[in-house]
Amino acid sequence: MPTTYEPIATTTLGSATNQVDFTGISGSYTDLILVIEGLASGGTNYPYFRVGNGSIDTGTNYSRTYILGDGSSASSGRDSNTSTPTLAEFLTTSRSIITIQFQNYSNTTTYKTMIVRTSGASNKVEANVTLWRSTSAINQIRLAVSSNNFASGSTFTLYGIKAA
Amino acid sequence: MPILGILASSTAVAAGSFESIATTALSSAQTSVTFSSIANTWAHLQVRFIMRANTDTNVRMRLRLNGDTGSNYSIHLLEGDGSGAASFNGVSTSLTLASPVTRSSYLADTFVAGVIDLLDYKDTNKYKTVRMLAGQDLNGNANGQINLSSGVWMNTNATTSLTLLLDSSIAFAANSHFALYGIKSA
Amino acid sequence: MATTYEAIATVTVGAGGAATFGFTSIPATFTDLLILASVRSDRPSNSIDNGWVYFNSDTTSGNYTKRRLWGDGSAVYSATTYDLDYYCPGSTATASTFGNLYYYIPNYAGSNNKSFSVDSSQENNATIAINNFTAGLWSSSSAITSITFDLNNGSFVQHSNATLYGIKNS
Repeated sequence: MPTTYEPIATTTLGSATNQVDFTGISGSYTDLILVIEGLASGGTNYPYFRVGNGSIDTGTNYSRTYILGDGSSASSGRDSNTSTPTLAEFLTTSRSIITIQFQNYSNTTTYKTMIVRTSGASNKVEANVTLWRSTSAINQIRLAVSSNNFASGSTFTLYGIKAA
Repeated sequence: MPILGILASSTAVAAGSFESIATTALSSAQTSVTFSSIANTWAHLQVRFIMRANTDTNVRMRLRLNGDTGSNYSIHLLEGDGSGAASFNGVSTSLTLASPVTRSSYLADTFVAGVIDLLDYKDTNKYKTVRMLAGQDLNGNANGQINLSSGVWMNTNATTSLTLLLDSSIAFAANSHFALYGIKSA
Repeated sequence: MATTYEAIATVTVGAGGAATFGFTSIPATFTDLLILASVRSDRPSNSIDNGWVYFNSDTTSGNYTKRRLWGDGSAVYSATTYDLDYYCPGSTATASTFGNLYYYIPNYAGSNNKSFSVDSSQENNATIAINNFTAGLWSSSSAITSITFDLNNGSFVQHSNATLYGIKNS
């Protein structure tokens, strides 16, 4: 029986690692939602993500605009032509959540606009929009950190939403 | 060593509370998109979209309920544009919500993406409060925006239609896509 | 047969209102929880009230960490109030107008501390109305078995409601 909202893949880290990949993502959904919850290991880190079709795009083909509150003030900024679009700041002692909405991820006519919400109760609350400048369908997603690791017990789950 | 996501079980699952109602995918420019004859089957509605303007004019996407063109709405907006965070309001307006600004001369192939949530859309005890999280990044262009906007439609009638449209009757560009979902309560 | 996105319970405030309302006996059979809520307060002489949820009847301030970003239609702010997740209309807000709340609570049944995310829109046909993002953390290794909605100034009016959904990752 077809369902509108269904899990595609999930992983819970059994040990610290610096990279989690989702590959072979079916193009049969309309949107994807990725939910990440966890901690950093070895020190604060700054998870980023990349996407691709057949292989992960490691070029400077990403950019983002964000708004955040740090508990004292609100601010907004942007990054352009980056290869590491930042998602959040992960701490080692206070858990954070990241959700990424990949709207119309499998079309081959538009660049891919993704809506990101991050919630770190001990550091920042943020929303951002990230652009991947490619009209290719997304069938791979990588979550990674440049230093330190995602802690054991961090979870990564990908859901598909299918429109009528 | 990268960790690969573990594929979910292929066991079939029963239909849940989140259901697809209708989809509109634009193959050519169109000035508005309406979801009509919305049944009273669900408790809440969600619209998931990507869109872009077809004309080189600064416009935002708005929402109209049940075709009401009166000054029966409000708008509130929390927005980051890459240089600062700001908040805006509109009182007794003829439309509600405010997406990031779009125009045809912005970075090619780049669309605004967002999610709209309308809770208790059929509740005749309530005016209808709607919330949208939407964004558009233009690779360093100052017009990239991320925003949380909301509004109220001051009418207790059940919602039977939703119309998405751009300011000044500007058309949505081809490849804009809108999907309506219903969410059931327990 | 398992479903991914499933309504677990809906609670609606009846005539006379309620100081608090929420969910109990939450099963541990899902991965994440999602709440959609539509609420209004009877806070006198004010168009805005604010509130929070607490878990397993724990109202100890030191067990909650919050970080909030909001705009009121004119300006933007950020703060860290432990018992403030969302805003909703008060008694002088536009009649029949309820706030629109979204909570997401991943891994609610696990043994780690519980992080959660809130988006809320208060609304009012006036200059001032609040859109808000909150990041929350409940420092407890207990599985969440109850969730209580509370207000800091008034009580919930009739027709305020919330639906609890379970999200299953496989």
